[in-house]
Amino acid sequence: MLSHGGRSKSDFAAYVSKQALADSSPYALEDGSKIAVVGGGPTGSFFSIFALKLAKMIDKELNITIYDPKNFSKDGPAGCNKCAGIISELLVQTLAVEGINLPDSVVWKGINSYQLHTTKGSVSIATPSFENTIAAVYRGGGPKGIIGEHKESFDDFLLGQAVKEGAAHISVKIEGIEYKNGKPVLFSQGGEIEQADLVVGAVGVNSAKTGIFPDMGFGYEEPRTVKAAIAELSFDEEIITEHFGNSVHLFLLPIKSLKFAAMIPKETYVTLCILGHDLNANSVKDFLDYPVVREVLPKSLSYKFRCRCLPKMNVKAPKIPYADRVVMCGDAGSTRLFKDGLGAAYIMGKAAANTAVLHGVSKQDFQEHYYPVYKNIIVDNQFGSYLYFLADLYKNYGLLTRWMLQIVQEEQSDPEDPKRLSSVLWNMFTGNERFKNIFATAVSLPMRFDLWKAFAKTLVRRR
Amino acid sequence: MKEGELGRLYSHGEIIFKEGEKGDVMYVIQSGKVKISKNSSSGDITMVTLQRGDIFGEMALFDKLPRSASAVAEGDTRILSIDKKKLFSTIWKDPTVVLKVIETMSSTIRRLSKDFAELKKKKQNMLCGTMDLEETCSFILEEARENIVAAENGSIMLLENGQDRLHIKAAFGEQAQEKLKLAVGEGVAGDVVGTGKAELVNEVLTDSRYKIGSLEIGSLMCVPFKYQGKCFGVLNLSSRRGNRFTLDNLKLLNSFSRYAAIALKNVLCMSDLKHATEEVLKHASILDVY
Repeated sequence: MLSHGGRSKSDFAAYVSKQALADSSPYALEDGSKIAVVGGGPTGSFFSIFALKLAKMIDKELNITIYDPKNFSKDGPAGCNKCAGIISELLVQTLAVEGINLPDSVVWKGINSYQLHTTKGSVSIATPSFENTIAAVYRGGGPKGIIGEHKESFDDFLLGQAVKEGAAHISVKIEGIEYKNGKPVLFSQGGEIEQADLVVGAVGVNSAKTGIFPDMGFGYEEPRTVKAAIAELSFDEEIITEHFGNSVHLFLLPIKSLKFAAMIPKETYVTLCILGHDLNANSVKDFLDYPVVREVLPKSLSYKFRCRCLPKMNVKAPKIPYADRVVMCGDAGSTRLFKDGLGAAYIMGKAAANTAVLHGVSKQDFQEHYYPVYKNIIVDNQFGSYLYFLADLYKNYGLLTRWMLQIVQEEQSDPEDPKRLSSVLWNMFTGNERFKNIFATAVSLPMRFDLWKAFAKTLVRRR
Repeated sequence: MKEGELGRLYSHGEIIFKEGEKGDVMYVIQSGKVKISKNSSSGDITMVTLQRGDIFGEMALFDKLPRSASAVAEGDTRILSIDKKKLFSTIWKDPTVVLKVIETMSSTIRRLSKDFAELKKKKQNMLCGTMDLEETCSFILEEARENIVAAENGSIMLLENGQDRLHIKAAFGEQAQEKLKLAVGEGVAGDVVGTGKAELVNEVLTDSRYKIGSLEIGSLMCVPFKYQGKCFGVLNLSSRRGNRFTLDNLKLLNSFSRYAAIALKNVLCMSDLKHATEEVLKHASILDVY
């Protein structure tokens, strides 16, 4: 006999008895359980915020300590977490629904559109809601030597939210973790500092701390990475307003080693982020000299380099991200391919928090409740790889580039148009949608008559 | 809009959505205030004023019915809209996302339940003749203070059956502590109940009729409760300041007292009837015993 929702009574009975067993399991978190979060970036903060919120709702008191020696309010590399600093429309909205409203002091620029630049022309794609829904932020205190202290670091703000929720932040570098009597013990400066009921590995791929987790011996290996190139350019504010507005400028150029590049305006700065293969110290200069980029950024415009780096990006997630009383999240686990690292930090930090608070902290608990979310991102990234391959084709072959521009221009000029290709491109680079869904929309596009009409137009124009 | 601002800016008085419209977007206030109001036969009624971080417009997303109220910006207000389709897709992946929305809905239900109970009590007091005299006096006094003339102190004094002294039946402000009793003709209130004429005294201390009590007052309005030409009580509103009230205030309060007198007389009649019935039943039961 089926109850509401299509589940049988015996299913429900099984669920209740399983839940009762989970509550009495030695791996269930109890009042006063200790959680050590290694890494105070967004993943660590998201985990702490949501674990504490959920625990309060079910009348459980947890002791969460976040260990990170970094001061995120410092300018330059000292406080920076080396990232483009874009918070997607979906994440801005989801956080607002969760009660985390980004204050104006954290948002350096509200973004309402993307300008797509190719060798065959440029086109603007606006947010469907015509609002400033994307937030451009700095992970640290801002570019090196930043003047004024009127803006806050995103990582610092989030860490502050976790502390407000009840977590403790200790400025200590964790140097080793070992199991003692079945529970992980954290070491720093040669001494034991805490034995925890759960350790959350929320370390970034650019952090030296990742090494401590492979040494624990539960099979965790560091994720595979590629290098990105990031630079901070400073301009006069009028130049930013005139040349960049409230848009992220995205470049799809026929350069084999380059996947795509983005210029993100942030008050008097522009963050340049280049993704591709074999990027090196010259990649930024080579890119800025490219003719299409020169049209956006004429030589007459004066700018200064404030800082640059070649940070690592996670492109392949570790196979084993958990063990009894240990879970790896964010960049140390699975993250979204080439985009929306902060969105992935939210999803994975929260999935780990929900599992630990509602189910338990055993390997089995993480296998059943955390791994499906983890795996989803890995599978979704497969679709992402296909999409980036398609984007490569469109940017490398002039005919396809023209066709793509023709369609997007027509879609954007017609208010009634459902804007399918525009939304594919929007979602592809903004982190608004899963790669799988974008892929489904993208492959259904060639079936439409108007697209082939645009293709014919492109051919005629070319001749 | 400034550089670091998210959402859309609405200027003062701009309508975010109207009652009765179809809604597929929910909103979160980023800065400023939003007034939620409902249309009624006597004009717009403000239900609540929301501020930064508050969520609104969520009901239409879940019950698929038209907007139940209108939302209007109070001053410059910045609002972030949340698309229904995207929100539902997020809820599907992680149902705990809506805990804050449920919290908002739950506090709205609590607020409405409280308002509903208060309204029901008021309605009962107005319609039901079985309510007691003190409650009716308190209700009349509250209405006078909230909707007729604002004052620091106020009281209702009535002549009790067979007596010629005024007793305080309800009061607010410092007057709430007073146990004053006045004979007809004594003090300003006693004089008003004697003459049946409303009085405005803007320099109370210079008025020879004023009976100095523990309460320091500068100006006073006193209006009679009359029924069929007979005066049976007064309504006093007073302030520490002199020259606090105007002649218009007095006229308005006097008009109000005419209607209030009918309500009070009804309660007094009901009370007399109740006592009379109780007496008859008492006698009937005594006869029964014999």
